[in-house]
Amino acid sequence: MTTDADVAPQPGNAVIKCVVWDIDNTLLDGVYLEWAGEPPPADPVLAGVLRELGDRGILQALASRNPFEAAEYVRAVTGAEFASVECGWGSKAEAISRIAADLDIPADTIAFVDDDMVERAEVAAELPDVLVLTPEDAAEAADWPQFSPAVITAEARRRGELYAERRRRQAAASAFGGSRDDFLRQAGTRITISPAQLGDVPRLHELSVRTHQLNSGGQPMTEAELSGLLESPDHEVATLRMADDFGDDGLVGAAILARNGAVRAAAPPATKTLASITVPLIMMSCRALGRGALDALLTWTCRAAAAAGASELAVPCLVTDRNVPMRLALAAAGLRAAPGSVAADGRAVFARSLVGDLPELPGWVTVEGTR
Amino acid sequence: MTDDPVGSDPMTTDVGRLAAVEAKLRQLLAEVTGRPDLRKIPVDTPLFGGGAGLDSLSGTLLLRQVQRLFGVDVAAEDLNLDSLESLSTLAAFISARSGSDSR
Repeated sequence: MTTDADVAPQPGNAVIKCVVWDIDNTLLDGVYLEWAGEPPPADPVLAGVLRELGDRGILQALASRNPFEAAEYVRAVTGAEFASVECGWGSKAEAISRIAADLDIPADTIAFVDDDMVERAEVAAELPDVLVLTPEDAAEAADWPQFSPAVITAEARRRGELYAERRRRQAAASAFGGSRDDFLRQAGTRITISPAQLGDVPRLHELSVRTHQLNSGGQPMTEAELSGLLESPDHEVATLRMADDFGDDGLVGAAILARNGAVRAAAPPATKTLASITVPLIMMSCRALGRGALDALLTWTCRAAAAAGASELAVPCLVTDRNVPMRLALAAAGLRAAPGSVAADGRAVFARSLVGDLPELPGWVTVEGTR
Repeated sequence: MTDDPVGSDPMTTDVGRLAAVEAKLRQLLAEVTGRPDLRKIPVDTPLFGGGAGLDSLSGTLLLRQVQRLFGVDVAAEDLNLDSLESLSTLAAFISARSGSDSR
């Protein structure tokens, strides 16, 4: 493999979630610090690309060897919202790693644009999963498939804004110092769990593609597959919406419940069988990470499965180093797999008994008419 | 431990190392949860749920720090993450797998 990023960009199939931009001779038509009076204007072509990608729900970030004022200046002249900003004299690869950690996204969903060949080569060598582009590449990137999410949902269009809300929420949370649940209460957290509607299908598809850390299945689902499940009498698809005083995140997660055999929601308690309910997919946006949403969805799933007459809940989960947060949530919800039971497809079945007392949903969770 | 040669004093070493790991874990737990009060919790307090309130975010941060400081990839070695039951189970899991240089 070559470390020379100038041969050609290597467009993979991963959907890009964030573009990290250099400032000098990239977003600006010149070098910020070399202009004594007025700094250089924005590059008009790339400023257009910034806006176009932002409208598609792709985040923008800055990594620049400039003082922080340069980032403020770029914001003013391009009108773009930057989800994360790294200004300093350190390496660009380190800056990109910090941005990835800050935004909670994997390296293969990041593109990096810089006019400097040395910077590009360093990032390509240190972070081989990052898509490294010249400004000329970036000018055309809007036409490439990995910058073109199939469907642009309402949540996607607001993504830049949502990250700004997240920054403010995190600052408040780290100043809070009490328990997570006390913070969630204080922040006016509101979670609503309700049956999926056909109008939710594009967002559910998008979540199935974009979520990794909090995704049990590890496989995207098509809109047709999802619509099919909504109509299937043996499946229940529950959505989770989340809001608090800092902002409204909309639809952030979902769980699919599959009834195995004879169990029906309408079954009276007297006909309870020993059947289990399987969860082929449970997923949550990383925006909800640390805010009790996945715990609430798992608690609801256990209670709904028990109410439907099942005595066991089973969640087949891909075991990778990327979805450790999902496994932590399963463990916290009392689900366990048989030791050494990871199958050839990389999955293990995490299960728990639904007999006896189940955890209660916290007061900020509202459940609406699930069947 | 039973196969240690007679005449060595492995208990003192192991107990000392376990205590050092526990002390470090208390500090990490307080950092990843943003709750300084967790520095003082008993070693057998449950980490998940009502105990220390560890969740998927703080748990992931804790495991990352454990890997960085002790070189133990808990998530790779413990499918069910049962080692996260309490500070004492996690400390035992880590000390059984790290610090081979001190043997």
